[in-house]
Amino acid sequence: MPVNFPDVQGKRDTVKEQVTEDMLKEVIDLYISETDSISLLDIPSTFVSVDADDAEPIMERNNQYAEACRSRMDNDKYVDQSVQTLNGATKNKQVQSDSIVMVDKVGSTDSTGNNASGWVLSPVMSLLACIILLCFSSASAASSLKEVEALGNSLNAESDLQLIMLSEKFQHCLLVMERSILGNIFQPQLAAYRQLPVIEDPESPVKPGMGEQREEDAESPRSPAVVRLWAFSCELSRGSSVSSMAWNKKNPDLLAVGYGEFGSSNQKPGLVCCWSLKNPTWPERVIRCDSAVTSLDFSSNNPSQLAVGMQDGSIAIYNVKSRDNKACFISSSGCPNRHLDPVWQLRWTQQELSLTGEEKVESLFSVAADGRISKWFVSNNGLDCIDLMKLKKSHNTKKKAGGTTTGKKTESVLSALTPGLCFDFHPTDASVYLVGTWEGLIHKCSCSNSQQFLETFKKHFCPVNHVTWSPLSPDVFLSCSADWTIQLWKQDHHKPVLGFTSTQRTVCDIKWSPKWATVFGAVNEGQLEIWDLNSSILDPVIVQPAAAGVKMNSLLFAPQTDCVLVGDSDGQVTVYQLRNLCVGDSSQVTLKGKPYIFVPEQHQKRHYRPTWTTVEEIQYTFHF
Amino acid sequence: MAEVEETLKRIQSQNGVQGIIIVNTEGIPIKTTLDNASTVQYAGLIHQLVMKARSTVRDIDPQNDLTFLRVRSKKNEIMIAPDKDYFLIVIQNPSD
Repeated sequence: MPVNFPDVQGKRDTVKEQVTEDMLKEVIDLYISETDSISLLDIPSTFVSVDADDAEPIMERNNQYAEACRSRMDNDKYVDQSVQTLNGATKNKQVQSDSIVMVDKVGSTDSTGNNASGWVLSPVMSLLACIILLCFSSASAASSLKEVEALGNSLNAESDLQLIMLSEKFQHCLLVMERSILGNIFQPQLAAYRQLPVIEDPESPVKPGMGEQREEDAESPRSPAVVRLWAFSCELSRGSSVSSMAWNKKNPDLLAVGYGEFGSSNQKPGLVCCWSLKNPTWPERVIRCDSAVTSLDFSSNNPSQLAVGMQDGSIAIYNVKSRDNKACFISSSGCPNRHLDPVWQLRWTQQELSLTGEEKVESLFSVAADGRISKWFVSNNGLDCIDLMKLKKSHNTKKKAGGTTTGKKTESVLSALTPGLCFDFHPTDASVYLVGTWEGLIHKCSCSNSQQFLETFKKHFCPVNHVTWSPLSPDVFLSCSADWTIQLWKQDHHKPVLGFTSTQRTVCDIKWSPKWATVFGAVNEGQLEIWDLNSSILDPVIVQPAAAGVKMNSLLFAPQTDCVLVGDSDGQVTVYQLRNLCVGDSSQVTLKGKPYIFVPEQHQKRHYRPTWTTVEEIQYTFHF
Repeated sequence: MAEVEETLKRIQSQNGVQGIIIVNTEGIPIKTTLDNASTVQYAGLIHQLVMKARSTVRDIDPQNDLTFLRVRSKKNEIMIAPDKDYFLIVIQNPSD
């Protein structure tokens, strides 16, 4: 009988030869030869005689085949495509059984005194029992083995979990997931924001209250109103007051909001949150600042740079792209010329280079409570500034003009500068700007003249909180003040063209609408007002009162959509949508009612009639 | 790490979220907020669905790959973010 042990492998001790230098230098011949050809498939062609019975169908099939080969190129039936099969990860399938717990039955002892379990009685039975026990024990051993394996796997799973949770891809994946979930929750509000048409879901159960509401809406005349969509708020910002808001210049969904606690004199740390429209419940970036934030602005040349001005006078530029909290890359704390008082407003403005005129250089401008307007630039290790203008108090200049006798005493011992509260650059001519001061004066200044104001507009007698050029009408601007009024000015007139009052509260913020030339919004502490000069100059078209106990203090229009954002003293930024605001583009607007300005006798009979020529290029002219 | 935990907690506390499951490549759920039986069921069934979806996308264009899958049903929505090393499954009932 042939004994064949093909699988038996003896263990051979391989003797290792010492490799010597001489052996390396030896010339060894290697012979390369071809292997025999291996044929994988060989179907020889068969021959059929022409006279055979099945010659005809065979010839037909041959013709068809030749035809098919010819038409293979462009025929839709033949597709040449590569396909990749994905092999899923191999899975170890395990079977797990609970371990068999052997419990000694505390029962009667038999006559021999053994602690006998009920079924071990006779030797045959005992043999059987032994076999069974053996099986069970092996099973239990096996199961315990498998348990160990399973446990081992769960340990692997734990380390897997750690690895997964720390990876960047998982964080991104969580971000996308959170946004999808919130997209589902906020879907109607976001659709309203983006002005998508609302289609009723035929499947959703119609709630009983909705039917009535819909009827009501259809019946009531469409009066302009604001509808609250949602509010950006989180636990970090609750309790602080919103001081300023700014949209990112490149990504219109990104909003930066500055928070700070004002009121008490001690410097509490402030906060900047960058919110994305896609997540109204948690900000994308949170930046903690040393002191309360009073102003912010995004840069246009470098859209990820955010300049933040604070209550202690320092200015910091943050890069919002990086997730690191300490992403501040430039601060003005080292500059000897820095502001020592709250920076009330910051603006990045592009000014053309005088030499080449090609590249628009962007600079950061600030106005602060120490009465200086400064232009900042990056020097070797921080920010440095030059002063564009010092806001001198008006009574000093009067003394100066009085005569030579008081010429020496031009500057009083106390600070000769009045705090500047707001400024705005002209939309087309970036070297001209307006400044609103604590005294209630608005000065028009030029970047090239740092000694004198070009013009002064006097009307307010309390601090001017905000001044803003109209983006659509070239020479018109609005100012609002703590004296409860809003004034509309035209550039060359020393007296305001129109004045507006609605409540007896200080007007905190005012902004022009980016879409409609006659619409602007204002917040005083108790309510949001939307004014439309086309329909009424005496009353706001829409009034939205603030929630109880909360003061509204800042306002921002959303570009490209008809929504308005209002920041309040509780750290919430609420988004309202303007509805049914019909701003027609009529070519003639006659002002109804008496305007709030002094009308000289001889002009009383004429009407003030502004003419609006086209929607793009609007002129606001008066006929005297 | 703490940020990831916080984000997971936030997701879980959102309106209508019924459960979150993280499954590794072998189909074994490694973190879950649902009970064992549902977790195992979801993990097994979704694993197959994702494999099928992924191979569909890649058959149409081999250079493409599946990044996100949402299954909207009458009662809820299952959102799956697949990756080479794991899947993240979130079940949400949006009308809550």
